[in-house]
Amino acid sequence: MAGLVPPGITTIPADASKTAHTKHEEKTDYMNLPCPIPYEEIHREALMSLKPETFEGLRFDFTKGLNQKFSLSHSVFMGPTEIPSQSAETIKIPTAHYEFGANFIDPNLMLIGRVLTDGRLNARVKWDLTDNLALKANAQLTNEPHMSHGMVNFDYKGKDYRSQFQMGNGALFGASYIQSVTPHLSLGGEVFWAGQHRKSGIGYAARYETDKMVATGQVASTGMVALSYVQKVSEKVSLASDLMYNYMSREVTSSVGYDYILRQCRLRGKIDSNGCTAAYLEERLNMGLNFVLSAEIDHRKKDYKFGFGLTVG
Amino acid sequence: MAAQPRRGGVSLPERRSAPKSDSNILARITSSPIVSRGKQAACDAAFVSKKLLRSTGKAAWIAGTTFLILVVPLIIEMDREQQFNELELQQASLLGAPPTGPALK
Repeated sequence: MAGLVPPGITTIPADASKTAHTKHEEKTDYMNLPCPIPYEEIHREALMSLKPETFEGLRFDFTKGLNQKFSLSHSVFMGPTEIPSQSAETIKIPTAHYEFGANFIDPNLMLIGRVLTDGRLNARVKWDLTDNLALKANAQLTNEPHMSHGMVNFDYKGKDYRSQFQMGNGALFGASYIQSVTPHLSLGGEVFWAGQHRKSGIGYAARYETDKMVATGQVASTGMVALSYVQKVSEKVSLASDLMYNYMSREVTSSVGYDYILRQCRLRGKIDSNGCTAAYLEERLNMGLNFVLSAEIDHRKKDYKFGFGLTVG
Repeated sequence: MAAQPRRGGVSLPERRSAPKSDSNILARITSSPIVSRGKQAACDAAFVSKKLLRSTGKAAWIAGTTFLILVVPLIIEMDREQQFNELELQQASLLGAPPTGPALK
């Protein structure tokens, strides 16, 4: 098996997490609860299956590692991009851009930078200050005024809890805390204050996780209610569904999707209550050579998006 | 219809007095309530069936394209995976001794 194809990506971590879970199931020791997932990532599994990054046009990504820690990336994109408009019809203009990136990845320091030909710059830093405390920074600079963003996060990881404090430009402050209550259940909350818009809010989240399923729920004082459920049918297949409800605008959307991770490819598909269908296929042609096909159909808006791409390295 | 010209007193329809009885029967048949109701029903049926056909066509189009996007790639990939497994099994049996990969599963 190993001689023919590179072994499956998921097999080893899945086994590892399974043994970890069974170990905790034996006795419910409330002093030794597992560390929960970060608050902003509680919908991780559902998002992975239901929100593939569909695109329209051609995409080519090339990553070249110069040595163990340093790598350069080049990517080309060509195709129509949507511009936001007030009318119901979507307006698309053809664009093409090239992106140059540099990555430095070390066990406790990660630096990632991206520059686009239209002048946008994106920089990310993740630095583990100690074993428990990590600093994350994210900056997005553009040449348009008031469109640049910056954000700094401090993450503290305890034995069975995580907390985070974040600061951003526009006087944005936020804090979140998540705690494991039982080996499967974790509960969390967040507060935020956006000084520029004079808004503040509070939110709560819960996540129930076994090795067969993950269910999450989140409410926030902005009126947002998000529920998601992921069922792992087998090691290769998982089915996901989610429901988003906005109390302020009375909008409800829900979607169902599947996620197949096979040895040669990964295929994700979803359909949502607005009648929007999307599929995303990543096919491994060779070691380090991936072919990507993306499709999205919205019959109501008559918006059809198809894209293909190649990822090298 | 036939009564109208007589009431008007114009001499023009008098000339066609010879085929009058014939057309009268035809006119009576065509203007009879059963025929007109049938005609109405046929018209309605045609209208409804046209609408039904159009909406089923649209539904079939949406269902078909959705199927093409969501299910067809899945079928192809599952088939490929199965072929791959078979090939692997075959090779393992050909090589004989070390079928460690499938044996572990």
